[in-house]
Amino acid sequence: MSSRPANSISSEATVALVVRAQRGDADAFASLAAAFLRAAYSVALAIVGRPADAEDVAQDAFVLALERIRTCRQPERFAGWLLQIVRHQALSWLQKRRLRDVSADEGGATVAIAPVATEHAGLAERLVAALGGLTTGQREVVLLHDLEDWTHAEIATALGISEVMSRQHLFNARRLLRAHLAGDAVTETGS
Amino acid sequence: MNDDERIDFGPLDPSRDRERWRRLVASVAHRAGEPGLARQLVDWGRPALLVAAALALLVWTAALLRPPAVAAPSGAAALLSEWAQRDEVPATTKILEVLGGEDGPR
Repeated sequence: MSSRPANSISSEATVALVVRAQRGDADAFASLAAAFLRAAYSVALAIVGRPADAEDVAQDAFVLALERIRTCRQPERFAGWLLQIVRHQALSWLQKRRLRDVSADEGGATVAIAPVATEHAGLAERLVAALGGLTTGQREVVLLHDLEDWTHAEIATALGISEVMSRQHLFNARRLLRAHLAGDAVTETGS
Repeated sequence: MNDDERIDFGPLDPSRDRERWRRLVASVAHRAGEPGLARQLVDWGRPALLVAAALALLVWTAALLRPPAVAAPSGAAALLSEWAQRDEVPATTKILEVLGGEDGPR
């Protein structure tokens, strides 16, 4: 079981940091990035599906969010506000990637990722492949919960869903991931 | 293993390499802190726009307050107007001269 990340901060501390960041405090920028960049990465990974791409998206989205920090009217809802920007950036990035892939296909280039045989793939690749069998909502919840160690209350607030839905997504996601990782043929997402 | 147990996403955790992650976080904070061209334009644009608006308002107010200037008649029109006001009937040659007929009829 993973432990709560050392850089996690309370909601009061988050509000204070956001207010300082809105006044242009560079140290507050760094503290917010340290506390929330991994969550941004988790949501980006849930949408773009590739760890390296998710890192890029998370960084760009975070920079954008900090540049627009003055527009965050409710500092106590910073996480949700940030993750909305990440989602938007990730979807936009995904759209550009699809366009790139289509034009590359038309040009005769091969850009599709070769499927990695499960028995030879590293654990990271197996996890990415298994995550591919989930819905975006399930991926967001399971990554924020099991990777970022957020509570259901935090996830529900940030993603704009109910705690019950968060628990349900987590339960289904774990079941499907385990089945996939164990080599079972699970094809029906969320069933 | 049951479904209440966490999935180990360690291999996907970008902060496993602590030094690299620390640099990544620092880079994000640095990028956000430095003013980009767009932000500089916005920062300079707002006061510049305010100054321009204030100047325009000043010029417009001054123009409104100034009494309308009546153009003084000049040249042939002034002379003709003066003759009309005095009921004076000048000689034809004089009229032609004033209207530009100095060379006389051809």
